[in-house]
Amino acid sequence: MNRVFELLIRAFPRAFREAFGAEMLELMRMDYARARARGRLAGLTTAVAVAADALASALAERLNPTWNPSSTRPRARRQTMGSWLVAWGRDFVHAARGLARSPGFTLVTVMTLALAIGANTAIYSVVESVLLEPLPYPNADRLVYLGGTAPGSDAPDELGVPDELYFEYRESVPALEDLGLYALASSTTRAEDHVEQLVLARVTPSLFTTLGARPLLGRLPNEEDDDRVVVLSHWLWQSWFGADPDVVGRSYYFARETRTVIGVLGPEFRFPDERVAFWIPLPIRPSQVTPGGFGTRVVARVARGVDREALTAQLAPLAMRVQERLGGPAPYRRIMERYRPIVKPLREQLVGKAAAPLWIALGTAGIVFLIACANVANLFLVRTESRLRDLAVRRALGAGRGGLVRTRMAEALLLAAAGGIGGVLIAWVGVPILVRAAPDAVAGGFASAPIPGLAAAGLDPTVLCFTAAATLSAALMFGLLPAMRASGPGLLDSLRHAGRGVAGRRTLGRNALVVLQMASALVLLVGSALLVRSLARLSNVDPGYEIEDIFTFQIAPDREDLNDRASVSRFQYAFMDRLAAIPGVESVGFVNTLPLDEGAGSGFVTTPRLQASGGEAPRVRVTGAGGGYFQTMGIEILRGRYFERIEEEQGIPNVIVSRSAADLLFPGEDPLGQKLRPEPSGEDTWFTVIGVVEDVLLDDLRGSPEPTVYLPGVSLSPAYVLKSKRADRLAPEVRAIIREMIPESPMYRVFTMEELAAQSKAQLSFTMQMLSIAAALALLLGAVGIYGVLSYVVARRTKEIGIRMALGAAERDVRRMVVAPGGRVALLGVVIGVLVALAVTRYMESLLFGVEPLDPASFAGMSAVLVAVALAASYLPARRAARVDPAVSLRAE
Amino acid sequence: MEGEPLSNLEYHVLLALADRPLYGYALREAVEKESDGAHRPRAGSLYRVLARLMTRGLVQTTEPDGPVEPHPGLERRYYALTPRGRRALEAETARLRRAALLAAQRLGLVDRAP
Repeated sequence: MNRVFELLIRAFPRAFREAFGAEMLELMRMDYARARARGRLAGLTTAVAVAADALASALAERLNPTWNPSSTRPRARRQTMGSWLVAWGRDFVHAARGLARSPGFTLVTVMTLALAIGANTAIYSVVESVLLEPLPYPNADRLVYLGGTAPGSDAPDELGVPDELYFEYRESVPALEDLGLYALASSTTRAEDHVEQLVLARVTPSLFTTLGARPLLGRLPNEEDDDRVVVLSHWLWQSWFGADPDVVGRSYYFARETRTVIGVLGPEFRFPDERVAFWIPLPIRPSQVTPGGFGTRVVARVARGVDREALTAQLAPLAMRVQERLGGPAPYRRIMERYRPIVKPLREQLVGKAAAPLWIALGTAGIVFLIACANVANLFLVRTESRLRDLAVRRALGAGRGGLVRTRMAEALLLAAAGGIGGVLIAWVGVPILVRAAPDAVAGGFASAPIPGLAAAGLDPTVLCFTAAATLSAALMFGLLPAMRASGPGLLDSLRHAGRGVAGRRTLGRNALVVLQMASALVLLVGSALLVRSLARLSNVDPGYEIEDIFTFQIAPDREDLNDRASVSRFQYAFMDRLAAIPGVESVGFVNTLPLDEGAGSGFVTTPRLQASGGEAPRVRVTGAGGGYFQTMGIEILRGRYFERIEEEQGIPNVIVSRSAADLLFPGEDPLGQKLRPEPSGEDTWFTVIGVVEDVLLDDLRGSPEPTVYLPGVSLSPAYVLKSKRADRLAPEVRAIIREMIPESPMYRVFTMEELAAQSKAQLSFTMQMLSIAAALALLLGAVGIYGVLSYVVARRTKEIGIRMALGAAERDVRRMVVAPGGRVALLGVVIGVLVALAVTRYMESLLFGVEPLDPASFAGMSAVLVAVALAASYLPARRAARVDPAVSLRAE
Repeated sequence: MEGEPLSNLEYHVLLALADRPLYGYALREAVEKESDGAHRPRAGSLYRVLARLMTRGLVQTTEPDGPVEPHPGLERRYYALTPRGRRALEAETARLRRAALLAAQRLGLVDRAP
């Protein structure tokens, strides 16, 4: 019946209940007890009457409150902002003193919080700068990237917008307010005393209007300009021209031509990324378009209120219309018939693949933050429990519930604030480290763009607001539970059974915290296991060539006498002779486009058989190679022979094909001596297959080998490859040779193949390292959590254990008694963790390689690790419990 | 007269406290006795009346007069009249007396007023 009365009391408003609840309950009990003494019926009717009265009163009190405690305490009625501040101030001073008295607790707590808040702040600052802050262009929210894809054709997955389609978009899509084309290139530039290979963008003048660009100096190109003018980037203007305003109007050697500077853009304009040194107008007219260039990209500003789906639907039929009007060769028709426009926010295109690791990093940091808060909450609970008596006495002496919550919250806020300040310091140191560690293009790299906004990441006001919010939520998370505990209705009980009682309800909150920690740790463990397995698979990939001991670079000689195939080839061989003479260099070769860096071009090839049968010309990868390229790279020759120097010099139409190209073009036939030809081709030259080499990975280690055709290469700026044990130290010697032979040429794209392979794995290994560190930390904190809770339980149950042992319980039973709850908590954590991991690992799919997001081995293995760690953490308290001396423990009470 | 008129139960609560501070149970017993059993408020009603009187500043909690005999259970809280409560009780008593006098005259229980 008491339970019923307690429930009835709950019907009253909180303030009323706090003032009179206990007394009402006592009165109810006494009434009932008296009536019950007169008989069962009397008891029942009284109980009903009491209950009805309580319900009616509670309802009346809620509708028409009679209790207004402030009016009974005249002092409290005059409570002002000032007195409120004084109360908080007093509590803060008190809390600070209390914390100073327990430096160990304070240090551990503040450090844990500082690490968690610091990691979150650092990663958030990068996320904000890269993913959240608007792009630095007017109407950034309406800027979109337009591309395309042609599923079912053998074109690459992602295509640009060909010029003819660009003009169709311009003319017939009113939803596009403005749009511009751009294409990146890199070329030799000479000005003042600089010679370098620089990245440039060829753009239509409308690109600048689309992006709303304004020049800092001079003007921007218009439709009347030809490509003999350039606009400088702010950084080039500063570093090459000393920010000289008179540079406008002067002419220099830009991208292998003399061009005139007409303007300089401001530092905020870095399109499409910060590497671009200058922009050259792309003077294309609808009448002069050569169809089929799928390499150019389009950026457009969409009219207000037009969404992506609507725009995509408007663009979709246009490729077909253009194709029907222009006709064109079969491979072109094949792509255009299947062409589907892709519309995505400009930022998504610019950030590209970097978004996934960043979001994963932020998620990871968030989980670590939760775990850290749970751990601090645990420490805080222990501290609160040890002071419950003190708090109960204060409560009994009339301290209000609000006041008690305030004292605990003051301590929590103080700790969190210290952690927040520490976190800002950690982030201040950590952001530059993070920015450097993030997967980025190797200097001068071209294939993989730098992440826009990454370099600008830092502690700006928005980030500090985030930190403040994180700090406050940390204080609430770890402070509120103990504060409720310290002021809750059960508080006075702790006075009555001070130091005794069993650890029942009190460990519930702490067990919940441990379950949370275990589950979070498991999510991180599974994630990092998936990435570790992916990285292992990726590292074991055989690309078909050697990764070790290969040095590579490019040059761009610019000499009048290198004007035909023979002279260039003679120069190349003279140059390679010098390279081969460097001590320790075993062999030298060159390739027009290097695997893992520039990949290879692609084109359609046909064979006499295909032509006769009217079959479609398949797309293959095409590049030129020469010197000892295949030997240097260790690419195995399966049939036939390598190119000879004379073939390169004279351009004899012989080719070497990769194994899969041979299988594709000449199925079931001997490839040697077979003929093939690019399609479409103006000439009637057939190439003869003289050799078959092993397939290689061209673009990155994740891809699969594609059919490749090698032509006898001659090029002014190919990638040279040198095999040497000293591959990582050859650069100065090579540079000296270049200075001597071709002083006008830059040396660029200087790598070892190992660096390129590492870059190909950088995104994965970066994410893997971060997640693994976080997972290890989470596991450690989780273990500490379980250990803490069980130690606490053992300490509280010492007497009970003593009695059990005195009554003959074996040590084994006692150990089981302690370990079993630990195991249960861990198992619950595992179950929840597995469920969460099942739901979230698919967001990592783009990073994984050769491993499924739901890889059973990772899930099972990491669950086992977690349970093992939990059991180990339980074992120490269990051993302590088993060593309890019954005599000592019973005396202790 | 102080503020709003008092209800009959409120009057009896003030009346019971006019002598000495009382704790909840004793107060209820006094109310029952002094109202000839007309009022026997259950817990909810009693404390709601107390709350209203305290909010109006007529009753306050206080220390008990003299030593308290040992008792089991909860620590007892004692309620007492405030000076304002005493004035309200006096005013209400005067009003009741006038009303009672009037009634007695009308019913012919006493002589008409001179």
